[in-house]
Amino acid sequence: MFVKEIHSRIKIVLFMIICLFLLIVLKVFYIQVIDYKKLNKFASNLWSRNLPVEASRGLIYDRNGVVLADNLTTTSLVLIPNQIKDKKMVTEKLAAILNVSYDDMYKHVAKKTSIERVHPEGRRLSYEVADQIAELKLDGVYLVKESKRNYPYDTYMSHTLGFVGIDNQGLSGLELMYNDYLTGTYGSIKYFSDAKGNKLDVSEVYEKPQDGVNLTLTINHEIQLSLERELNNAVSKYNPDQAIGLAMDPKTGEILAISSRPNFSPSRYQEYSIEEINRNLPIWSTYEPGSTFKIITLAASLEEKTVNLKDEHFYDGGSIHVENARIKCWKHGGHGEQTFLQVVENSCNPGFVILGQRLGKEKLFQYIRKFGFGTKTGIDLNGEGSGILFNLDRVGPVELATTAFGQGVSVTPIQQVTAVSAAINGGILYKPYIVKSLNEPETNTVIKENKKTKVRRVISEKTSQEVRETLESVVTNGTGRTAFIDGYRVGGKTGTAQKVKDGKYMVGNYTVSFMGFMPANDPEIVVYIAIDNAKGVTQYGGTIAGPIVRNVLLDVIDILDIKKPKGASEKEYNIGDKKYITVPSVIGKTRKEASELLKGLTIRYSGTGDVVTYQSPKAGQRILEDDIVRIMLDE
Amino acid sequence: MKNKKLDFLLLGSIIIISIFGLIMIYSASYVWAAYKFADPFKFVKNQGTFFILGLFMLWFVSKVDYHIYYEKANLIFTICLILLILVLIPGIGTVRNGSRSWFGIGSFGIQPSEFMKLALIIFTSKYLCRNEKNMNLIVKGVLPILAITMLVFGLIMLQPDFGTGMILVMSIIGLLFIGGVPFQFFFRSFLVGVAGIVGLILSAPYRLERILSFLNPWKDPLGSGFQIIQSLYAIGPGGLFGMGFGASRQKHFYLPEPQTDFIFSIISEEFGFLGILLVTSLFLIIIIRGFKIASHTNDLFSKYLAFGITFGLSFQALLNLMVVVGLIPVTGVTLPFLSYGGSSLLITLASMGIVLNISRHQK
Repeated sequence: MFVKEIHSRIKIVLFMIICLFLLIVLKVFYIQVIDYKKLNKFASNLWSRNLPVEASRGLIYDRNGVVLADNLTTTSLVLIPNQIKDKKMVTEKLAAILNVSYDDMYKHVAKKTSIERVHPEGRRLSYEVADQIAELKLDGVYLVKESKRNYPYDTYMSHTLGFVGIDNQGLSGLELMYNDYLTGTYGSIKYFSDAKGNKLDVSEVYEKPQDGVNLTLTINHEIQLSLERELNNAVSKYNPDQAIGLAMDPKTGEILAISSRPNFSPSRYQEYSIEEINRNLPIWSTYEPGSTFKIITLAASLEEKTVNLKDEHFYDGGSIHVENARIKCWKHGGHGEQTFLQVVENSCNPGFVILGQRLGKEKLFQYIRKFGFGTKTGIDLNGEGSGILFNLDRVGPVELATTAFGQGVSVTPIQQVTAVSAAINGGILYKPYIVKSLNEPETNTVIKENKKTKVRRVISEKTSQEVRETLESVVTNGTGRTAFIDGYRVGGKTGTAQKVKDGKYMVGNYTVSFMGFMPANDPEIVVYIAIDNAKGVTQYGGTIAGPIVRNVLLDVIDILDIKKPKGASEKEYNIGDKKYITVPSVIGKTRKEASELLKGLTIRYSGTGDVVTYQSPKAGQRILEDDIVRIMLDE
Repeated sequence: MKNKKLDFLLLGSIIIISIFGLIMIYSASYVWAAYKFADPFKFVKNQGTFFILGLFMLWFVSKVDYHIYYEKANLIFTICLILLILVLIPGIGTVRNGSRSWFGIGSFGIQPSEFMKLALIIFTSKYLCRNEKNMNLIVKGVLPILAITMLVFGLIMLQPDFGTGMILVMSIIGLLFIGGVPFQFFFRSFLVGVAGIVGLILSAPYRLERILSFLNPWKDPLGSGFQIIQSLYAIGPGGLFGMGFGASRQKHFYLPEPQTDFIFSIISEEFGFLGILLVTSLFLIIIIRGFKIASHTNDLFSKYLAFGITFGLSFQALLNLMVVVGLIPVTGVTLPFLSYGGSSLLITLASMGIVLNISRHQK
């Protein structure tokens, strides 16, 4: 009996032992199957070290594929000291290739760190040097790609493009606004190591970096170059406080060119003040528009049929009384007897006061708001201003009168260009935009595309046509004559606004502007130029800004291939014999090659030798035939 | 009593698991061995020597009639007790891994506590035979042998070596259980134990947290949780088939001394779930055979002896495996046959020799 008891107790024990073994096997199963993913991930992170591989930042293109911002790819040397067994040999070899002293190199090779960048000797290596290092096939010695943002046209469109910081992060402009898209995802070289950091004999895993998304803008590079050149000329000619240029396709709201002065060099952004960098004047600055605003009053009056331009007459005696104030016309003594068409052509202030009074403040301000003033246009750029309008219940007869010819309101250039586009494109207000599409870098597939966005209809097709015709006659017969291009149909309006400081109009300090468009019968482009406080000249929009807009439009004729309208006057324009030429790059070329390339231009050589090291003006600038190009030669 | 043939299933399993252990010790240890001794075969050479020695012991012991242990039980126990005391004296015993439990002979080390495990099982088996009638009496039957066990346990804890002490105590308790000590006694002891633990926890609640910390090793990944996390990192990625022989990553300095307590993790990493099934199956064969032999002997002494040896082995294996897979806190117990450790392997093989000898005397 006792032995039986022993045997049954042995069975109990055995049963318990088997149960415990089963428990262990189940737990292993749980770890290997249920916890597998988690543990494998953790463990993989433990075993692997990552060498980051930088992704290329997305490129920025103009509408025709011209690169406006790209990357310079360089190779840099990276060491993983733990993996370098023979430190002396590696130091000697690298020191010889990189031309560094043995001691300096040894500091890098023997550094107690997981990843060591050899700075600065090992950064931006030339292909030859990188090749030599790669051929050594040393453990722990790696070459990784690095890229640096590059702006081929330097100060060109600097506010809008923006710039990047030391880690290629967007800090302003489109670079900031679209930073999430432009920034790619880091890739890595994953290698496996033991707990002491030594490399294990397990093959490396290369995870490709995901390059950033490319940006295609609505900008037309050639028009932009033209605008930049004209602003440069304006700056050297008039030394203004500020200069603004903006071009838009009135039928879509696409920005074709945008620039302002002062501008900055994005690679040296640290040298400029925050205000200079951050204020993208064409969308940020708000000021009294002056007479260009009369287009709005004109459009409203035509739409409301409160005026008959050709048949109604108005006598301008040089001023008009409104309540107790006397509002003067800009022309001393006035324009005398005129039709209302001539009122517009002459930009006659008292005439526009009458137009404003006929509309009444409700109607006028209703149109002003419908044209988009007083609110941001919603353009896809940072830092847009909204402008200031009178509060309707504070608008008395005087405010109504001045608003009608563009005083007492504060607007941004982009608002004006957008509003005028609506007034001449058939009456529809479009939301302006500058990014045409976002493209996936490898396949170029469109990720996101911006299309024209109709905001609202402001005036009728017919009214818009009348506005176009009226503004064309302003250029043909009126104050806009300086923008006239013989043989082509140009419309436009001048503007001269006294600047306000501390609530008072400043003496002799104006913002002069010109709003031009062509072809006047079917506009493809609106160009707006504003020059703030031009010095040494009579400050009228017609005399300063008009010719600038004209120069831009002359380029646009070629760029957009605008045909001469049939039946138009065949008279050639005065400088028709002289063409604009885009300066090619001759740097690095021989003297002979350079003279070939610069045919049609006057070359001035300096220095001795046969290789061009410098040229002025730079490549890409447009200058007149026979203009001087200076080149410097060297051995 | 006629001589029967050896239990070949048991012998075969023992040899297979030992050779597998040798191979795994090589795979698990060569990284550390190369790093510490500039000789990747350092550990496997040591263990191989002991394995050959152990096989010889196994063969020799299996020839020795086990009745001699009955006669010499007191002598064996006394010698081991003296050795256990001697090892505590600085100058005689050497300290390895923080415990003074070794006699150093050259590069080999001998642990007297390993011998004591066997000696005490022999001693207790004899005690149970002679006090067959008293075993239901607590004071007269159970307490004397428990007192001796606690004395030995105390000596081992002076080294200190909690793991070995624990296995020793549990082997004796197992023997007492089948030796006829009433269930009530174990039940009451269990209640006293639970009450004691509850009392300790109530007096200082942080203890509960410490006891339970093994359940979530990630709370203290660099401290108490370190070993178990490293072990899980080895077991987890192993998957069904493992990473392949020699392909363990955790042995590259992540898991400290992977050839000892945590060799099961490396097996799991390199051979996956199938490797685990193989190892546990071999253990179960050995255990079941051992218990079967215990059930089939005629005399009580050999019954107790075969059971005691097999139960001690099972308990040690379970203790190690439950630590490695994170079921209980780390105790520092090696895995029989598989973990690196010369005297442990020697004694294990010798004990198996005794069991095999007993199997020859079955009816």
